[in-house]
Amino acid sequence: MATVFAAHYLDGQTPVRRRASVRVAATGLEIAVEGGATLWWPLGAIRQTQGIYAGEQIRLERGGAMPETLLVDDPALLVTLRGIGAAGRRFRGPRRPSLRVLVTALAALAVVAVGGALHVWGIPAASSVVASILPVSWEDRIGRAAVAQLAPSERRCLDPALQATVDAIVARLVVRAPDTYRIRVTIVDHPAVNAFAAPGGHIVVLRGLLERTRTPEELAGVLAHEIQHVYHRHPTRLVVQHTSAGLLAAAVAGDVSALMAYSLEAARILGTLRYSRQYEAEADAAGLRMLATARVDPRGLSSFLGQLVPAEKGAPPTLAYFASHPATAERITTLQRLAAEVRDTPTPIVTSRDWKDIARLCGA
Amino acid sequence: MTCPRCQEAEASSERCPRCGVVVATYLAALEKMRRTPAPRPSAPAAPLVPAAASGGVYALSFHGHAGTLFGIQIVNMLRALLTLGGYYFWGKARVRSYVFGQTALEGDRFAYHGTGGELARGFARAMAFFILPVIALNLLPRLLGAGPLLERSAQLLGYVVVSVFMPIAAVGAHRYRLSRTSWRGIRFSFRGRTRDFVKLFIGGSMLTTLTLGLYYPVFDTRRRAFMVAHAHFGNRPFGFDGNGRQLLLPFVVAVLLTVPTLGLGWFWYVARKRRYFWEHTTFDRARFRSTVTGRLLLNLVGGNVLLLMVTLGLGWPWVLVRNARFACDTVRLAGALDLAGVVQAPQSEAATGDALSTFLGMDVGIA
Repeated sequence: MATVFAAHYLDGQTPVRRRASVRVAATGLEIAVEGGATLWWPLGAIRQTQGIYAGEQIRLERGGAMPETLLVDDPALLVTLRGIGAAGRRFRGPRRPSLRVLVTALAALAVVAVGGALHVWGIPAASSVVASILPVSWEDRIGRAAVAQLAPSERRCLDPALQATVDAIVARLVVRAPDTYRIRVTIVDHPAVNAFAAPGGHIVVLRGLLERTRTPEELAGVLAHEIQHVYHRHPTRLVVQHTSAGLLAAAVAGDVSALMAYSLEAARILGTLRYSRQYEAEADAAGLRMLATARVDPRGLSSFLGQLVPAEKGAPPTLAYFASHPATAERITTLQRLAAEVRDTPTPIVTSRDWKDIARLCGA
Repeated sequence: MTCPRCQEAEASSERCPRCGVVVATYLAALEKMRRTPAPRPSAPAAPLVPAAASGGVYALSFHGHAGTLFGIQIVNMLRALLTLGGYYFWGKARVRSYVFGQTALEGDRFAYHGTGGELARGFARAMAFFILPVIALNLLPRLLGAGPLLERSAQLLGYVVVSVFMPIAAVGAHRYRLSRTSWRGIRFSFRGRTRDFVKLFIGGSMLTTLTLGLYYPVFDTRRRAFMVAHAHFGNRPFGFDGNGRQLLLPFVVAVLLTVPTLGLGWFWYVARKRRYFWEHTTFDRARFRSTVTGRLLLNLVGGNVLLLMVTLGLGWPWVLVRNARFACDTVRLAGALDLAGVVQAPQSEAATGDALSTFLGMDVGIA
């Protein structure tokens, strides 16, 4: 094994590069600088700053902020250093090309696996903890900001009769619910069949959905479902989840400038987000219990969803509510089964006018 | 004894407390330089000290491989995921170290000396003094239910903070990166005063607005001049002698041709600007030259965009290598370059500006 190597020496004080020859000894390097002194570098005082990747020059440094430097082209130096015992093992040479490809491939697989695990379990679990400790007043402000973005005041339906009817339905639904959240429904003049909950008790219903309901019980079903999203803090969790996923992705991909954007945009992306199947099932089951407690016909939600099912295949884009609630047929079956278990006789929701007329007050 | 370099009286025989020079080594080097130029038989990659008077052309070259960079990037991503993003800074330092170490001037590689720890501390400081206050200014009034007037004023204040921090970040990043870069063991440095740049920046922004953008090429040149003319290699400064007036006409032409060329005309302006900037940059008695053209730039950027789109962003290391090769291939240093007399100059800079500039999306490129 070679123990003497050709090198270049930089003294760290001037840009003069001198030829040198390096002899590897058991405890250090003996450096004979051309036209100069012979230097002794103990192994413990040497840092390797380059040479661990293929094609890189080996760069060894000694000293503090302005180190002396030794440059060696021959990678065999590292092999020799590693061969002299424990003190030399911390010097690393390039991996063999086949090993490098293997390590890269394994790392890529691990990135996918760890990223997937964080996405599926880690981030939702962390978001649920964060969402549960966030004060309700903060949730309320986030929700208000989201509604202000998604339902600008000039697009809101302000018909007093319509609002009063909707508010009366909400009041009946929440009569026995804990008063942690004050539920406020905003109706927006938009043709999409959609409704969604924002953090803090804010619910947005679009005109398209309202016009599709055939009875007040169907609207009550939708509202109970959305109210339960609020009670279970699903929208808050979703905002936190989306933000933290974005932050992590930005940190991993190295796009730090996105961090600030994510922090500032947190509340604005509601309405474009999708709940998981578990959240939907939770809101369905709890919504149904809410309807039963309020003695509202529990078949409202399933009947509303049922009328949308034929449109499932090739659904027009306006049926956003439908698109955001996957596996609707399955949900309808579950809702019908749960509704059948309700023993109490429902009391119809009485409205001042025919429901069809009320539901069309928004676009009028 | 008196330090032979900075004349500090208290220097011990070993190391000067003020400039950090090792006195004995410095004296030996001086002595050696006085004896040079000694004839050196068959210098391997580059002459030790290029002959002062003869002049010549000094080329940059990039030796990195995208495959290796891809491996580094993937391992960085994995570590960042496992540490919930914490490894990001160390990954960034690793990539920079690789890229700098693969860039050479006349066969001698550059070296990057920054560490992940420095970047992390810079990030923490930037977070505490800038990012959190700006986020708070934007979000808190809303979360606390302050009135719309207070909300607007807080947002306005946020914008003011951002615009004042932009020049501070640019100088900070430039200062930090140069201080962590070396060639032949000698560090680069930046000695411009931040407040001078802030003044230049705010004044230039206002003049640009007042002249409906016409002042922009001059403003752009003055910023570049500030960054270059205060940069040093060891104890010796770079020079910049452009005033940007020659860029005025190409700039107006680029503006007028924006619509007819669907914006592609700007590639020619940017190429013209880069040539102008390099050709007015000097070091010692040598001057930089650039061969970048609009067509070359268009090919580079077009290829990069295509590469990123086809690989869904995974081709980033190839883009980086293409950019580095392009930058090295199109820039030369020509003229008489005398490195005798260049000596190390000590410095210590924090990485706060580096973190800030990354946040503000204004990475300072050298090309």
